[in-house]
Amino acid sequence: MSSPDFYQFLGIPRRLALDPKELETRFYALSRKLHPDLFARKSAAEQAKALDDSALLNDAFRTLRDPIKRAEYVLKAEGFDIGEQSTKDVPAELLEEVFELNMALEELRMGDDDAREQLQISRSTFLNMRDGLDAETQAKFAEWDASDEKSVLSEIRALLNRRKYVTNLIEKANVPDRV
Amino acid sequence: MAYSDKVLDHYNNPRNVGSLDKKAANVGTGMVGAPECGDVMKLQIRVNDESGIIEDAKFKTFGCGSAIASSSLATEWLKGKTVDEALRIKNTDIVNELALPPVKIHCSVLAEDAIKAAISDYRTKQVASVSAKQPELVGQLVA
Repeated sequence: MSSPDFYQFLGIPRRLALDPKELETRFYALSRKLHPDLFARKSAAEQAKALDDSALLNDAFRTLRDPIKRAEYVLKAEGFDIGEQSTKDVPAELLEEVFELNMALEELRMGDDDAREQLQISRSTFLNMRDGLDAETQAKFAEWDASDEKSVLSEIRALLNRRKYVTNLIEKANVPDRV
Repeated sequence: MAYSDKVLDHYNNPRNVGSLDKKAANVGTGMVGAPECGDVMKLQIRVNDESGIIEDAKFKTFGCGSAIASSSLATEWLKGKTVDEALRIKNTDIVNELALPPVKIHCSVLAEDAIKAAISDYRTKQVASVSAKQPELVGQLVA
């Protein structure tokens, strides 16, 4: 049997831009209801059920608390493939930045310490890009909540994909000060 | 997986590594990439204003041996060709010449894309520079 829907289980509306406070409140309320102490005198079957529910509650909370995991969860439930995707639609400016980053890394490998400055620049460029993507994603969350349009979900899918790529680049540009 | 001798040759002695003046009107720059494997390829051509022949080609590629070899070979082939001839270079020609295995075919596709991108950039610049000087010629050039 597939596991129950996280939103339903928590009793909150199926929204992407959900209020963290509301989520937390529901989580703590349910945690209290499922506390093992309350089941100490119950049957073994009821105890086991409470344990399963606790595990599910933790899964649901951890998933929905994180905006990226939450979006991936909804996408998957709506039939999207959330695995690594090829990104043919990479904008030219991004390629330009990736090229600069690779140049700087190569210069650094060849002993040119001046390249560190370029790496710093690259890193902050990618950090800014990620912030931009996050803001765009937030806006799309609200749009989907209001419209329930599948096309908005595929836009979110593309944004998450690009975010993953940019995150990898941030890692790559993160070179220790001295080797 | 073993690389063919030709791939190794281009990888160890890449031809035409470097860059041309990106801002020059007769230089076309193509930047393409396959981000999922981290490859980025920059390929540039310089076209002779009078003859319309590609007189120089440079590249810089970050990627696997096959990607480097594909772009290195592409620059060799580009030199001495007209822009129209250059457009007829197909990725399959590169695959055959370098004996690329199926898993590396995307590297040759990348090289073909880079050629096309460089030529398209060159043509866009030509239209721009002609329209600045002789606006009435633009229609002919685009056609």
